[in-house]
Amino acid sequence: MALKVFSIPALPKVNNGAARLLPVATTLLAALISVLPVQIPGYAALTPVFTLMAAYHWTMYRPDLLPPLALFAIGLTEDLLAGSPLGINALLLLLTRSAVLGYRRYFVNRTFPYVWTGFTLLTGAAMFGLWALHCVLDLSLLDFRNTVIRAALTIAIFPLASFLLGRAQRSAMGAG
Amino acid sequence: MIWLSPQARTAIQRTLLPILIALSAAIVVLGKADQLVFESARTAVTDAAAPVLDAFSRPLRAVGKVVDRVRMVVDTYDENTRLETENARLLQWQQTALNLAADNQQLRGLLKAVPDNALSYVTARVIANSGGAYVRTVLINAGSDDHVARGQAAITGEGLVGRLTEVGNRAARVLLITDLNSRVPVMIEGSHVNAVLAGDNSERPRLLYLSAPDATKVGDRVVTSGEGGVFPPGLPVGVVDALDPAGPRIEPYVELSQVGYVLVVDYGLAHSLPQPVQVPARPGKRKSAGEDDTANR
Repeated sequence: MALKVFSIPALPKVNNGAARLLPVATTLLAALISVLPVQIPGYAALTPVFTLMAAYHWTMYRPDLLPPLALFAIGLTEDLLAGSPLGINALLLLLTRSAVLGYRRYFVNRTFPYVWTGFTLLTGAAMFGLWALHCVLDLSLLDFRNTVIRAALTIAIFPLASFLLGRAQRSAMGAG
Repeated sequence: MIWLSPQARTAIQRTLLPILIALSAAIVVLGKADQLVFESARTAVTDAAAPVLDAFSRPLRAVGKVVDRVRMVVDTYDENTRLETENARLLQWQQTALNLAADNQQLRGLLKAVPDNALSYVTARVIANSGGAYVRTVLINAGSDDHVARGQAAITGEGLVGRLTEVGNRAARVLLITDLNSRVPVMIEGSHVNAVLAGDNSERPRLLYLSAPDATKVGDRVVTSGEGGVFPPGLPVGVVDALDPAGPRIEPYVELSQVGYVLVVDYGLAHSLPQPVQVPARPGKRKSAGEDDTANR
């Protein structure tokens, strides 16, 4: 995993306060959505990783407006709400930022399939990492099937999330 | 906001990410080493988020109801036939139950049996679930303000859901019987074979440490045994669904992924358990094993 530090690219300045808050607000909303009790059989175990979608989108397009401290706080909040081991989602979101900033130049300002490919690679790595970490924390070999299905669902839903986030971004900040 | 030179800002931005990554990893390790370290943070955050989650989860309940209603309309004819058959069968059972209840009352009178403890119920709504493959818990909108306490059982009309592991003022977390960390002392109804129901994050938990491993068969009813004192004996849990060399699988009576409401029941047993959170030895400080020793000296 790329732990190198990358400088944040220069992006058009956003002066509107509400627009500046949009990335943090949508990522926090994603954290809330992921703990909502949707009463579909088996859904809880397969809930897509909504925060990963938001973190990827905003780190790709507006890394300046979703700073590491915000990702850390949102990750911790999600852990506390979901009852998962504290720090795990914070770690996931921060490593996502690190990876996306490292490889951003290959995916940004390209057509959507490129962006989606980037997300697919990221999700694959992230879900495998999560699974491995949980295996270590629980000291047992956990079932890998749910992880695969969850990753597939996350990747499948990403175009919709990306579309909605992109719409919100354009209406709040203009084309950017 | 504090004014910083652009160089200083860049320097902070460069180092903040690796520092926070290291900090998150440290928190994961620390949280694993001592489960209680972040307990108060958890209850504080869930308490604060409870009204928001409550509001967000209400429309979802409505959506669930609409889906149910559509399904019901589609199935009306078949459902009606099934219910008529079931009703005829249940009427027979009702007679049997009435006879048994009368018998039971007479026999209890003869034995001078002490009646079961009076129970107190709190009905609570599920406002959040764990959203992930690795934890099976739900958050409910009742807390210590509603006289709900850690260790109490969460049930529905069908059977056991789990037990309360963290209790805040307004919200509490229920560890479902399917969670990897859930262990419930159970027995096979009728044969009184004791076992431990162990969750493994799958929909169907396993029976471990059966006192008579070969006596179990598919379709056996599993109820709590009351051993260990967390749950009272006789709460319905599920039926044996499949026999497996590693331990029979249980199909829980409660459809855990669709639980909307639970009853939190105080059987008066929680106080007989050693409390997981130790009583502070001094205000603001957690009692450690070392302090225990000095107190005894």
